Amino acid sequence: MRRSARILLMAACLLCIATFARGQGNYEIQVYGADTVAPKNLMVELHSNYTVSGQTKYLGGVYPTNHQEHETLELTQGISDWAEVGFYVFTSEQSGHGVQWVGDHIRPRVRAPDRWHLPVGLSLSTEIGYQRAVYSPDTWTWEIRPIIDKTMGRWYLAFNPALERTLHGPDVNQGLGFSPAVKVSYDFTRQISGGFEYYADYGRLGSFDTLREQQQQIFAVTDLNVSPKWEINFGVGIGPTAATDHLIVKGILGRRFDWGKRSAVD
Amino acid sequence: MITRRRFGQLSGLAAGSLFLPRVIHAAATPDIMLQIAPFTLEASPKHHIRTVAYNGQVPGPLLRMREGEEINVEVNNLSTDPEVVHWHGLFLPSAIDGAMEEGTPMIAPGESARYSFRPEPSGFRWFHTHTFAGKNLTKAQYSGLHGFLWIEPKENPGRYDREVFLALHDWGGHETGSDDGFMNPVYDFSTINGKMLGFGEPVLVKSGERVLIHVLNSSPTEVHWLALAGHSFRVVALDGNQVAQPQNVSMLRLAPAERVSALVEMNHPGTWILGEVRKHVQAAGMGMVVEYADSSGKPTWIQPESLVWNYRQFAQAATSPIAEDVSRIELAFDSKFQGHGNEELWRINGKSYPDTDEPALQEGRRYRLVMKNLSMDDHPMHLHRHTFEVRQVDGSEELSGLMKDVILVPARTTAEVEFVANHPGHTLFHCHQQDHMDRGFMMVFRYA
Repeated sequence: MRRSARILLMAACLLCIATFARGQGNYEIQVYGADTVAPKNLMVELHSNYTVSGQTKYLGGVYPTNHQEHETLELTQGISDWAEVGFYVFTSEQSGHGVQWVGDHIRPRVRAPDRWHLPVGLSLSTEIGYQRAVYSPDTWTWEIRPIIDKTMGRWYLAFNPALERTLHGPDVNQGLGFSPAVKVSYDFTRQISGGFEYYADYGRLGSFDTLREQQQQIFAVTDLNVSPKWEINFGVGIGPTAATDHLIVKGILGRRFDWGKRSAVD
Repeated sequence: MITRRRFGQLSGLAAGSLFLPRVIHAAATPDIMLQIAPFTLEASPKHHIRTVAYNGQVPGPLLRMREGEEINVEVNNLSTDPEVVHWHGLFLPSAIDGAMEEGTPMIAPGESARYSFRPEPSGFRWFHTHTFAGKNLTKAQYSGLHGFLWIEPKENPGRYDREVFLALHDWGGHETGSDDGFMNPVYDFSTINGKMLGFGEPVLVKSGERVLIHVLNSSPTEVHWLALAGHSFRVVALDGNQVAQPQNVSMLRLAPAERVSALVEMNHPGTWILGEVRKHVQAAGMGMVVEYADSSGKPTWIQPESLVWNYRQFAQAATSPIAEDVSRIELAFDSKFQGHGNEELWRINGKSYPDTDEPALQEGRRYRLVMKNLSMDDHPMHLHRHTFEVRQVDGSEELSGLMKDVILVPARTTAEVEFVANHPGHTLFHCHQQDHMDRGFMMVFRYA
């Protein structure tokens, strides 16, 4: 079977898994690229994540993650050619709990302008937001996320060494947590890319958790570049440590809207 | 992939002037000397560009030659790279036309070459480097190595008061991913005759004058539209060849390597901007001031609302069907994806240079190039050493009388041109976008 056909088959299988899924998962599972949304453009993304195998017990009043389905609406508005602001609405659906609002985040982001001619893409994101205590004991959190990426021929690399801090909740005195994310993908064709995404939460900076207590996930993912207006990403991830949900299926469907009425002479 | 530079090295074509063929005989005293050397261009007090130029100026000197009269040119290469000068639009032997793909020897750094030739045809031609840039968007056509070449006709009607030569160029190129996944060069700023808007000497005119403006688009990759606020252009020649039907137009469009010669009646006194129609390109500097005598004040720009241009208006409807003795050469243009972090590999009939076909031409025979652009990009296609007649563009009726050496073939369209194979020797045919030719968008016609 040709390589491109195999990739198409894999994408179709992922689509089937997502279609049949009727549970829940994490909220936004994405390694950020350095590029920002263009000014007068709005990016609308729906993150659909289903935890196939996760935590089955209530821990400290927090709902179990097993068979949770998370639907997250992300709206990102381009401000300039180097700045954007994103807004999230998190929801969760789970048997016995129905559809519930989880929380909201806001995420301003800036990047190094093209005129700097840097050899890599570079941007800095900061995110602050609230989530209900039944979904996360830490109700107010803040994150700062440097983003470095590089496209080399058919290869794409992205690294997000994120730092997180709890502003309200049990971990408020824990200081900064280190949560890196990495993406490596390969362009099989103009339309189809495939690769791996790695997400981790090592715990407090300077005093990492034991491996068993760390969260680590690795996803096999595919991106479908069918149109500059659309963003399509599917993935299946496993969590090998005890503190991580063991199997998650994720999908991102994004659509770019251009509000600018530019003419040919602009 | 074998790049053009690598291919040249493998072929020994970059060996320097030691291997100049017999046709390039030295003259005792050259009529023209061109010195290729590093140069810092001041496009504005805040924009200094380290580049390479002819005779320490950008654009290079305006060379005037007489049609058919022998001229001797010496080129000294004081740069650090092998160079070659292409005499764009002239019917020269392959050995001196200025393309190593045709067999013109490169001039090694520190070396010189002398050329002797009888320039023809008459009209607005130009000369420029014809080397490889690749990922270095300061070299080859990205540099300042371009200049005007005016071949005086044996008889010049001279129905104008004065001439102005203008070169449009883009600088500070860097590659960026476009929305459609291609890697495309984008530019930090743009100039006319090496100066950004507001920083060059204004063109001084008098009311009632007829000014013949010769515009060259020397940009490595960009199409440009040009308008003169308060005035219109009467296009009289394209690529240096008189058009069948001169037309009054509100703006000019020039693909890379194209030239337009247009008369402007100076009948609207004031201080005006001659500039790129698209706002973001003019804001990047592509403009200059045209000032009437006894006028002063801030230059005025009148923003057009659309981009208007087509080749057909300058041609005539053909009165006869396609001749039976014309040989068709079908050429399909497309690209091969090499990753979102790479430029496309460009292909003609599924092959990239140096693996492209080499069709054999019979001297004296008329050929019709049927160019099907299957890609999503527009391509300015240039045929060396010949002039072709534009016969069809984008489904038009059969045309005649429009003679050119570059034609822009828009994406997903077909253009058809005809030429007579009357200049034996290897003949290069290529897209004039530097990044495209660097990625294989070339082929060579050979004479049987």
